[in-house]
Formats: sequence, C-alpha cells, structure tokens
Amino acid sequence: MKLRTTLAGRSFTFHSIKEVLAKANEEKSGDILAGIAAQSDLERIAAKEVLSRLLVEDLCENPVVPYEDDEVTRMNQDSLDREVYGSIRRMSIAELREYILSYAAGEPELRRLSRGLTAEVVAGVCKLMGNLDLVYAANKVRVTATCNTTIGLRGTLATRLQPNHPTDNVEGITASLFEGLSYGCGDALLGLNPVNDTVAALAEVLKRFDEVKRRFEIPTQICVLGHITTQIEAVKRGAPCDMIFQSIAGSQKGNTEFGFSSDTVREAMALLKQRGTAKGPDVMYFETGQGSELSSDAHYGADQVTMEARCYAFAREFHPFMVNTVVGFIGPEYLYDSRQVIRAGLEDHFMAKLSGVPMGCDCCYTNHMQADQNDVENLSMLLGCCGANYILGVPTGDDVMLNYQTNAYHDVGAIRETLGLRPLPEFEKWLEKMGIMENGRLTPRAGDPTLFTAMRG
Amino acid sequence: MDDRLIQLIVDEVVRQLGRGVGATPADTVPEAEPLDITSPEARAASLLADPASPDALERMRKRTTARIGVGRAGPRLNTRTMLTLRADHAQARDAVFSTIDPKFIESLGLMTVRTMCADKQTFITRPDLGRRLSPESEKLILEKCVHDPDVQIYAADGLSTTAIRANLDRILPILIETLTSSGLKVGTPFYMEYGRVAAEDRVAELLGAKVVCVLIGERPGLATASSMSAYIAYNAHVGMPEARRTVVSNIHKDGLNAIEAGAYIAEVIKKIYEQKASGIELVK
Amino acid sequence: MATLLSVGIDIGTTTTQVVFSHIELDNVAGYFSVPRISITGRKLLYKSRVHTTPLLDHDRALIDGERLAGIVRDEYGRAGFTPEQVDTGAVIITGESARKENASVVLERLSRFAGEFVVSTAGPDLESVVAGKGSGACLYSEQNECRVLNLDIGGGTTNLALFDTGELVHRSCYDIGGHLVLVDHDLNVSSVSAPARIVAEAEGVPLADGSRTSLDVLERIAKRMADLLACAAGLGGDEALLERLRTSTSTGGIAPAGARICFSGGVAECMARMPEDPLAYGDLGVLLGRALLEGRLCREAQVIPALERISATVIGAGIYTTSLSGSTIYYQPGIFPVKNVPALRLEDEVERACVAGDGGPLAAQVEWFMRQGDATRLLVCLKGMRDPSYDALAVCARTLCGALDKALPEDAPVLIAVESDTAKALGTLMARISDGKRRIAVIDAVHPMTGEFVDIGPPVMSGMVVPVAVKTLLFG
Repeated sequence: MKLRTTLAGRSFTFHSIKEVLAKANEEKSGDILAGIAAQSDLERIAAKEVLSRLLVEDLCENPVVPYEDDEVTRMNQDSLDREVYGSIRRMSIAELREYILSYAAGEPELRRLSRGLTAEVVAGVCKLMGNLDLVYAANKVRVTATCNTTIGLRGTLATRLQPNHPTDNVEGITASLFEGLSYGCGDALLGLNPVNDTVAALAEVLKRFDEVKRRFEIPTQICVLGHITTQIEAVKRGAPCDMIFQSIAGSQKGNTEFGFSSDTVREAMALLKQRGTAKGPDVMYFETGQGSELSSDAHYGADQVTMEARCYAFAREFHPFMVNTVVGFIGPEYLYDSRQVIRAGLEDHFMAKLSGVPMGCDCCYTNHMQADQNDVENLSMLLGCCGANYILGVPTGDDVMLNYQTNAYHDVGAIRETLGLRPLPEFEKWLEKMGIMENGRLTPRAGDPTLFTAMRG
Repeated sequence: MDDRLIQLIVDEVVRQLGRGVGATPADTVPEAEPLDITSPEARAASLLADPASPDALERMRKRTTARIGVGRAGPRLNTRTMLTLRADHAQARDAVFSTIDPKFIESLGLMTVRTMCADKQTFITRPDLGRRLSPESEKLILEKCVHDPDVQIYAADGLSTTAIRANLDRILPILIETLTSSGLKVGTPFYMEYGRVAAEDRVAELLGAKVVCVLIGERPGLATASSMSAYIAYNAHVGMPEARRTVVSNIHKDGLNAIEAGAYIAEVIKKIYEQKASGIELVK
Repeated sequence: MATLLSVGIDIGTTTTQVVFSHIELDNVAGYFSVPRISITGRKLLYKSRVHTTPLLDHDRALIDGERLAGIVRDEYGRAGFTPEQVDTGAVIITGESARKENASVVLERLSRFAGEFVVSTAGPDLESVVAGKGSGACLYSEQNECRVLNLDIGGGTTNLALFDTGELVHRSCYDIGGHLVLVDHDLNVSSVSAPARIVAEAEGVPLADGSRTSLDVLERIAKRMADLLACAAGLGGDEALLERLRTSTSTGGIAPAGARICFSGGVAECMARMPEDPLAYGDLGVLLGRALLEGRLCREAQVIPALERISATVIGAGIYTTSLSGSTIYYQPGIFPVKNVPALRLEDEVERACVAGDGGPLAAQVEWFMRQGDATRLLVCLKGMRDPSYDALAVCARTLCGALDKALPEDAPVLIAVESDTAKALGTLMARISDGKRRIAVIDAVHPMTGEFVDIGPPVMSGMVVPVAVKTLLFG
C-alpha cells in the first residue's frame, strides 16, 4: 500500500488513507473549512491517482472511523456479504470504477456488488468518477422500495410534495398541498417540515394529511418531519402516520448530536409496524447532506463525501422507503457554489444507488450561496437522467418556512415530459381520475388548487 | 366635414377645457408606468386564469405566504412569476453580498470594527474567522469603548446588510434609552463588519460586559431580505454553549417591527440582567 | 401555558342557563421567536340544566332578581366554583328580557357572582355572533370552507349570523320567537306580544290577550313566522312585513342566500326532539319548530346539525367572548383590571394631527367625549404607525402625553389601544415622557369602536398578555 506518487515531475506523499480520500475529493468548501482539502489542483489529482491504485481491501480495512468507536462502522462491516467481498477485495479502485462502467456490469451485477462494498469503497470509487460517469453508472441501477406504493420503478420520477408554512397553519398547509397535487406532485410523499416540533403540532398536520389522503383516495405516503422522538410520541398517541423521518449522519457521534441512535430507529420501525397507517414494509425516511458531520464536529477528520457514503451504509440497514440528500441546504461554507452543489448531488445519488439505498434529492440552495434557480433546474434534470427516485416540489420553488429554494411544483412535469418519465403508476392513474393528467401531460384543469375545495363541498 | 375642420373643432374644445391650444389628447395622457412586479399590489393578484372557485382560491391565498394560485405556461411558470422570483432572489443576494454605506454607520455615531475576515468571500466560507476579531479591532474596542458595562450592545452585518440598513436606526435609540433610563450602565455601541453571532463572546470578554447583545442580519429568504435578530447572552465567553444565548428573531417591518422589537428586547435584557442567566437557563 | 376560568350566564326570555369553561392560553411562537400568546383550547367544564327564567308575578316582563340570584348561586355551588375563582366570562340578557329595568336588576343581583372580572354584555348583534359560535356554525364553516347561516331562535327573538369560512360576514336580529304568544292547553291566550300581533294581523287571524284561540290560528301564525325567517335568510318573501319585525337595535337586514343553515336556540331543540303535545311549553315554540321543519328553509337549503341547540348562546357567551391583547404590550403594575371603560376611536384627521405633533384636536375630541358620556375614564383607540422611525414615534408619544394629560380628569390613567404592533414601544416612550405623572397602559390587537365598552383583565402568562372583552351595550 503505497501512499506516494509523482505527478508532472512533483512528488506527493500522503500519510493515511483518510488523507488520500480527503484530498482526492473534488473541491468542496467544507473540506477546506475542515483543513483537509488538497492544497492544489495537482495535489488533488495526485491523491486520485494514489487512490486509483489502492485495493478494495485497503479501504475496507481502514474505515475512517474506528470499528471499536462507532456503531455505523460496525453495522457496515458486520453486514458485508463476505462472498461478494471476497471476489473483489483484490481489485484496485481503478479496476472497480472500470468494472462499474463496463457493459459486463448490468443492474443485477451491480445490485450484487453493492452488498460487498463498504462506505469507504463506495466513496473511493465515486472520487474517481467524472460527472457523466456518475450519471451513467447510477442510471444502470434502480432501487425500489414499498410503503403504500412502490417507488423507484424504471421510467418513473416521483416527487415529495413539501407544503411548508411559516406558522404551521393547517389550512395554509392544505392550500399549498392542493396546489401541489394539482400539478401532479406528491407521489413519493406528502411531507411537511414543521416549525414547532411538538406532538400536538405534528399530530394536527398528520391528521389533515390523512384526511386528504383518504377523502381523495390518493395513493401515496404521509409524514411530518419532526424529530424522530416527537414522531414516535405522536404515533403512540394515535396520530396517523405512514412513515417516520430522521436526519442521519455518517458517524454514531453525529447521530448522537442529532439526538437519536440506531435503537431509536428500531423503536420507530416496530411502532409503525404495529400502529402505522402504511402497508409497508418500508417505513423509514432519512435525510442526509454533505457537511453535516463537520458542522456537528463528528467527522473524525474525514472528508464530507466519505462521511456521506457512511450515511447510506447506516440507512440501508433499516430498509428506508426514501433517502433524501438535501444537497444545497447547508450553506456555502460546505458547498460553495452551484458547481459544488451539482457535483455533490450527483455524487450522493450515485453513492446511494451503489449502496442499495432508494435515493432522491432535494436540489436546493440558500441565498448566501453562489447559485440560483437555474442551477436547481440543471441538477434536477441531471438527476432525472440518473434515474433518481424523486425530487422535491414546493410552490414556485420558494420554501417560505425553511427560507431556501428547491424545485417548484412546476418542474417535475417538464422534466417528466422532456425525459419520457411518468409519475408512479398508481398515482398517475389517480391524476387521470382527477382530470389533472392525460397521456403523461398536464390537462387544462391542472394547476388549479380549488379543484379539491370544489370537491370538498 | 373635412379632417381640417375636425382638427379645428378638437383644438378649440381642448383650448376651452383649459388644456392649452395645440395639445392633442395623445400628448396629455401619459403612458402608464409599468407595474413593479415586486410590489404588494402585484403580488396580491392571482395569475391563475379561470379557477374552479375564485372565492376558494382567494381564501387559500390568504392563508399562506407560499406563492400559490400562480398559474402556468404549459407545465412551467408564467413569465411574471418567474421574474418576480428572480427579483426577490436578487434582493436576497444583495442583502448578503453588498457592503453597508459607511455614512449610514457614522450617522448613527458608531465606529466600525472588523473580524478576521478580509472580505465577504472569506466571511461566507469561513465561519470560524467571522467569530474572531482582528487584533486592530480588539485594540480599538479597548480604547474607545466604556469598560465593564452592565450591557454591551453592538450591531453586525451577519448575512444581511439590508437588515442593518432597514432596522438599526429604529431599534438602537429605544433600546439604549430604555436600558439607560432603568439605571443600567450601557456600553459604547459600535458596528462590526463580517461578524458572526459568536463574535459577541469575545466582545463580552474584552470589555467585561455582564450582558452582551448583538443585532445581526439574518440569512435572507425570498420573502424578506431585511430580517434582523438579536442574540443576547449573560456572562458570555468564547467557547460557551450555544444554548446559553437568548434569541429574538424575525425583526423587520412585516415581522416584529424594529422599534417594538427594541422595546421588547430592552425588557428581555433587563430580565437577563436581573436573573443573571440567558438562553435555556433563563426563566421565561 | 395558562388557564382562565370563564363563566357564561344567559338570561333569555324563557330560559336561563349557566356554564363554566376553561380557556387555555399558550405561547404558540417558536422558542426563538417573540412570544405569541394565543387561545389554544376551550373546554366546557360544566353546563347547568335549563332553568325557566324567573319573572315577577305582578309583571311577567320583569325578571325576579331574588330568584335569579338564587339560581346562579346554586349553579356555582353545583359546579364547585366560587366567584373569586372566575377570571372572565359574560352575562348575556337576550331577547325580550333585555330591557333596561331588567338589566339593572341583573347587574345589581349578579355582580357579586361575577368574580373580579366578568363582563355584563348584551346587544342583538353580539348575541347573534355568540350563538353562532356556540352552536358550532362558525367552526363548521371554517372546517368545510363554506358559508353557514346560524338562526338562533329563542323565545322572543331570532338572531342570525352568517359565517364564511369561519369569519362573520353578516348579522341581524328579528322579533320572531316561540314565546311571543302564551297559551294554555285549553287554548286560552294569556299574552300576545306586539310582534306576534303584527304577524296575526298580516295573516288576517284574530289573536288577543284573554281570548280563546284555535290550533289552526296558532299554526297559521307559526307558519307565517317560519316563512318570514326564510325571507330573513335570503329566500325571498314578504320583506316589508319582515322589516317591521326587525329588532330595533339590530343593524343588519336580510342575509344573502345560498348558505347552509344551522338552527340553535330553544325552538331548534323542539325541531330536534319534537314533543307530541303541540302546546307542550304553553307557547308557540313547538308549532314554530314544526312549521320550520316543513317550511321553505328546510326544503330549499342544506341544513347542518348544530353542536349545541338550546345552550348555544350560553356556551358562546362562556367560551367565546374573551380575546387576548397582543403579546408585546406596555402597562404599569396594578393598572389592570379595568371594567366598563368607554372606547373612543380617534378620527383620522385627529390622529394625523397627533402624529404631526399637534395635540389640540385630540384634547378637544377627548374633552367632548368625556362630557358627552359623563365618563371619568376612556380607552383611546388609534390606528398607529407601521414600522415607525424612532423620531416619529417619539413625537406621537409626546403629543399623546401632553394632550391626554390636559384632557383627562386628575387621576385617570392613560389607556391606549393601538392597531399597529407598536404598543410596547409607544408605552415605553410615553412612560418616560410622563415620568410618573400618570399611570399608563398601551395594548394592541384589539379593535373596539367608539360607543363600545371594554373590560381588560389582570395580566396572565407571566404578564405578557391581558384578556380583553369588548361589549356593545352596557347595562345600567
């Protein structure tokens, strides 16, 4: 295992695999902030070159957070398919990259491969991929999951409808919800980020979501994204709930900072199995995003791409219905501009697919980043090409509660039409029944939220 | 009648109306000013043609600030909605990236100090540097400011200079006067460029302030770029837990207006001073 | 979180009822926001049985204060509350009972049950709203995003309130009710009130005190009344006759058509549980209920079920008459509670002058108002300024202080209600200017009109807010 190379006549030496992984990253302001990024473009390529020669087992045997200290590492290592791993452990990361891109690796091969990869290997190969590589490779694989409906089918692009409100006013939330449904959004999830993380606030919105779902017989899922413990309490007190949400990190310390552990997730799953309103079996919803470990000082000196891959290793143990990278929310100190955000979105989606996680993306930006709505549209188009499970939808892209911008209700229709994609099949039938969609296109009635109030009587 | 005669009659009528000979109606009707698409009136209008229930749409739009009932062009946004969004984003970016006019700060009688950030880009990407004062600034503060105040108040740009410009002259006088008149020793206020919230911990340490309060620009959303927050802490020191800060947010003309916020924050500060506690330790 | 104990006492033409409820307050703003105290729950704790309103033997139009006090005292006992525990609430005298003599009797006899802070309030417009909230009509319209017209049909009057998605959009009151004709089982008429006489005349049937009548005549009168209520609900009909029956103090006229209908009040009770005996209550109530069930209103409009029928008004009074001030207000310790303070809304030009620093017109208006109403205190209501600058608000504060100090009696406090969210700032500035000369309070989020009266209770929720009740008509 040589952590040395010469490039353009200059020699580069690295001191650890962790350092190689960090410096092999495409430029990210978060790695610079952490003080672990490559000092120059040439050093970055040198690290990539060293990384390309490392073996799968080098990365597997050197997790960035020690096995003894961290349950994420332990879960990842312990669940590895030893047979698959045995067949690839002597491959170099360069060879692994080429295998993934080769015609020999179809969907079944890649699905099998993913069982033998640790997060560090997934992250490592990602760092050797160009953007088109990330699109091409990710598009080979679909990861499906089933809650009330099945997400991730080839030829579909779903949406999470996010009807956030600055004060959690249920009528205001419902108004925004109807607007979104009238644009054909909401097949992945009707999901609200609440302002007030209280059992009462969550229960009130869940009740309304459930009412609307039942009254209009919408084939979809509902969730209110409070803290996992608040959601558990709400369900215990009888709130209707299809799915429980939690933000996750790539280390146990990060998850502790978020206020939960793997046991909390198990408790949530068991509870939903007993008292949830969904058929299942997949009932968890996780959110991630590069840089969150650094912001809670739980990154162990590792780079943000590797820590992100570890989130997926954690997530897949719980068979989530959906995982979401909120890619541009964290701010410019982690992802500086649209270039970094787009790269991160493609990386996260690829790594999730390679980890076997049903992945979608909140293509977003804050107003102190060097990015605008065009960049969100670019990224969501690219993710449509990748075969991402879903994107988001909020009114005109402006989230009035979280104060950031993501995809508009108006985006998914255009992307679906452009790329020949459809909503999830049951949902499309429902849209047709409601007169909102016909032959994969919006009807003249679409875009009118009062379609639903008129029917409420 | 020929055209000439008609023209004569028209001219005469116009003259008699006191508009002056020779003015034609076309000259007297000014071209309508184009609508400011960011104005409240423009925003109030729904662009959705022919909704199933216009009344219901009106009610729905009243219940959320989310932009609903906006209509569409094919599957996409109408031009006006798209341009309004871009205008709001432009204002938000201006709030973050523009620098404040030094004359405004001087007009309030404030001196300007700086953190370790040399420019906006550094400030945006290096929160750690935005929490530390430059050595020159530390010196300046020690020289010019009253030491050991009961309350030290200062302003910082944070992520919105627009917020400072819109609110500081309204909030500062009532805040300082109310505290002074209730017998507290109020320190010398100043303005900090490229400041993050936690820089207040260093300010408190430097001056030996019992209570420190920074009035700082919030990260702008599309709805408003002029929102300010106050972060207040008792006995602040570098490295203290964030939970020890008391926060008053959403200070702007459509949230809690600045002068009312000033009166409110003065009361909060008095309570913090009396209880010798802030943040989660403060009994509300 | 805080809880207020609220009492509601409804003294109607025929029935009297008492309820106790809890009004729950909480800070609904997030941890990092300025507090926003809201009413988060209203819980009915106790509902008394329906008592017959006690009347004097020698004059059946006058309330027997002695016996009324007895009823209320007993109900306090049964509910397990003492007057001292009550924080807020309302006594409402409705229908025919709402005459001046009765009002003073009630005020005199019930004041000691009213606790430190109980509103005595009435007026047909307010009754309509109170009944419509108590019946559940308001809530239904909000939850179903539709229009609901509540008809609270009591003994002497029918109060109409139209709600559109939870908001009141129309109210009116007519002298139509079940108790306007009193008749025994032998069809001897013991009393015909004036409105009933008008209806009988229009219908062309004889009806007089002391005479014998027939079921047919009574049915015809009841049907005519039901038809007039359909007219009042906008379904068309004899509008001229209806106008003659409009309660003199009611401001609204015929309601717009097309709303769903909700019935409350005693007659609605008959409609829901129709007694076999058409003269079960010795009045027109049962027949009017039957006529309504068979009439145009029920045929042509969609009728929704009421949550409360006969108790709608008392529950509305007990639960819905208290509102809250804004959560950033200014007051000096001990200034609240205040009761029955007349409100004076400044005319626009007076307020403009005030903002410009000229207190003359304000002083003049205040002095005139105090003389007119023979008042010793008042609540000055202003629009206020939106996001004012410090200098502008300081000028306004100075002018207000100067003018009010001149115009108010020696020891009267300065009480101000401002519409814009500037109460704390304005109060803080005024207090500094006044420098202890007068006691000062400035509140916001309440909008009383000139001619209305205001009660402001002691501060709650760590002193952040005060409960406020606005009354349209004051007894005594």
